[in-house]
Amino acid sequence: MNANADTEKNFNYFFGLLNLAAVFCIVWFLWYIFMNPNTVMKLYTPMYGFSLVVVFLSGIILMTKVIDYSAFIEKLPAAENIIWRGIIMTIVAFLLMLFLVYIVFWGFIGKFGIAYFSPDSIVAAGGIGAEPYAARENASTAIVYFFTAFLWISLFWSVGFGRWPWQKLSSGVIAWSRIFAIFFFVSIVYAVLFHPHVCYLFYPAQSKAGVDPWWGELVGTGSAFFGLGLVLCTLFWIIISDMLWEGYPWKWFEKDGEGTFVKALVTFIATFVLGMIMLFILTKIMNVVWDEAFVGGQYTDGPDFRYIHAGEIAGFFILAAFILKNYFNNFPNTGPIWLRALIRTIIALVIGMLFYWFYYSPLATFFLAKVVGFAQPGDTPLVWVLLFLSIIMVQWEFFEGWPLKKSKD
Amino acid sequence: MKRRTFLKSMAATGVAASMTGAGVLTREAEARKKHDIGEIKSVKIDVLTETSWFDNDQFKKDIMDYGGGMTNQYIIPWKWDNAGGYSVLLTVTTLEGKERKFMLDTGWNNEWMDYIYEKNNIPAMLKSEEVEFMVLSHWHLDHFWGIESTLKHKPDIPFYVPKTYYPEDMALLKDKAHHKAKDKNTGEMMHICKNDVPHTGKLVLCDPKGEKGEGIYRLMDGVAIRNFDVPILLRVRGENVLYFNVKDKGIVTVTGCCHPGILSLFSYARKNFKGYKPYGCYGGLHISLFETWEPKFDDIIKGVKAFKIKRLGCNHCTGWIWAEKAAAEGVPVIKGTDKYKTYKKFSTVAKTSNVFLTNGDTVTF
Repeated sequence: MNANADTEKNFNYFFGLLNLAAVFCIVWFLWYIFMNPNTVMKLYTPMYGFSLVVVFLSGIILMTKVIDYSAFIEKLPAAENIIWRGIIMTIVAFLLMLFLVYIVFWGFIGKFGIAYFSPDSIVAAGGIGAEPYAARENASTAIVYFFTAFLWISLFWSVGFGRWPWQKLSSGVIAWSRIFAIFFFVSIVYAVLFHPHVCYLFYPAQSKAGVDPWWGELVGTGSAFFGLGLVLCTLFWIIISDMLWEGYPWKWFEKDGEGTFVKALVTFIATFVLGMIMLFILTKIMNVVWDEAFVGGQYTDGPDFRYIHAGEIAGFFILAAFILKNYFNNFPNTGPIWLRALIRTIIALVIGMLFYWFYYSPLATFFLAKVVGFAQPGDTPLVWVLLFLSIIMVQWEFFEGWPLKKSKD
Repeated sequence: MKRRTFLKSMAATGVAASMTGAGVLTREAEARKKHDIGEIKSVKIDVLTETSWFDNDQFKKDIMDYGGGMTNQYIIPWKWDNAGGYSVLLTVTTLEGKERKFMLDTGWNNEWMDYIYEKNNIPAMLKSEEVEFMVLSHWHLDHFWGIESTLKHKPDIPFYVPKTYYPEDMALLKDKAHHKAKDKNTGEMMHICKNDVPHTGKLVLCDPKGEKGEGIYRLMDGVAIRNFDVPILLRVRGENVLYFNVKDKGIVTVTGCCHPGILSLFSYARKNFKGYKPYGCYGGLHISLFETWEPKFDDIIKGVKAFKIKRLGCNHCTGWIWAEKAAAEGVPVIKGTDKYKTYKKFSTVAKTSNVFLTNGDTVTF
């Protein structure tokens, strides 16, 4: 506790705030160049830009949480210089994004396997609506869903299993094993939660390839926004328990400081149930604000919007957790863990609500060229939130927190 | 999968309890003060033009080449010869048997709109004030940019518009604006719209509060405007919707694009209008705008049936494939005719199924 108190005493919160402001400006600049629909690259179409951002973030997670790249580059001379290391790893993450989107999905899987992952293959197949722009949006939608599943499983794996059961083996074995294991489960999650939706993005529906969205009667919409919202609400609990609760209560199931099967099982079930409860509560709150949704409703009346909006709210909270952890030293650092966790969670919820207010205020019109109002078709705050998270992760994972944090301690 | 089956499988994993009721929760809408908007005998709708553009792929290409659905419509150099417009003539028969006319929307391409207006004797009706006033559904190009074609016949016509305008919109309406957009390939500034006849009449800026705080603007007995402040594609915001209460039949909605969603319109009427009975709708329903599909469109078909809408007249941004599928699944879609084929241009997606009320068609509720 004394060490924590010392850390708190030595941390410059004002510098943290300045750093956050700088990151906000970087995200604003990147949005202006790449996403703003009235400026340069205009990638926020929206799904095309969404897919690039989610794959970029997934690439960072893949490098840091799955492969644990630092174990492989420690001996490289460039790795000793934080700035060079950060620049090189950022470039690698960017190239990885290009490789995954354009080579793996558009060029390989979409060309030789599942047509809807490639805009060219969709257009080549012909039929109603199979023109280049709709095809690119549909392929991007499928990629977004696939990597949403990846974010869930990979972050759960990192918190639940950690290095188990390969902890006694080399870094290479651990990396490869985790990659195969995670992508195995990602494929299953994608097939069950998202593939049916993508199959129904075409007319007529690809009903021999994917079932009629099975959740339709249960939740009032055939849209996979239900699954997306559920996954994001679950991710919220995975992330705050890892970052703000310092790995508790899952740590109680560790053995010799390593993950166990029981720990993973408990983590998975508990975070999933908490995610469902969160989704339930958030949709209840939305019912109070906007009245109950109904089948076929649009804008805020649509059940699909309610579910993705729950996920978007979870996204704001996740962003807030990252900010509290990284730029405000996970304040507070004194007192018992349960109290620290509780206070941090409350702070994260408050910061998350501030971001929520920002995104739906006229400020977002100025910063992001967004039209004021809720539920604009094609707009989701998730893209901006994921871009923000990506830049935070680049700073903290690749640049090791530089310049806010100048040494590893 | 049925709810029961799903819950059974979830129970096996011990999480069923937390899922109970996690779907669309039903509760009584909060009690509101309901308004009596009066009644009319009937409303006749003449489809002047619903072909806002003729080639879907070209229109979509224009949008996507310049940044997608969130782009400001005034920075896109639209293909001029693809532009048409959306405009409707409404004739209300009052309970006393008197006929009163007004129009919804003013179209886009002035050459097209002049052609359409001449074909339907609109200039004479405007000049003689037989058309009493106009309503603008929203500030989208295909509903508003053809304003000169109307104002040159009647510059002081009373005009109900959404309050959520941008400076470019008001400049076009009031300040003789000639808007241009830059072609990103050639760098050339391209004409996109103009109006040399400023509007001089009464301008009513509609917002969700409505007049007298009732949430609606009463145009005449049995007819009202409701403004829905929703964000829309191409940086536009807010849409005016027309409500008619037809005696012995029920509520009829008439829309430009229906961005808020057809069921949200009926939901609003159910919550706010005395003696609500669903009856019919007409207009663009903004579903499968570009003839593409997504699971949500199946939701809308289910919802329309659940709301028990008895006559559904659609066109424009509804999507032919949605209208065809809805008709096939039992939605009472009002069929159009082949009259549109006598026009000098028609849409590339028009089909023989005639599930759209197209240019030249008429429907009476």
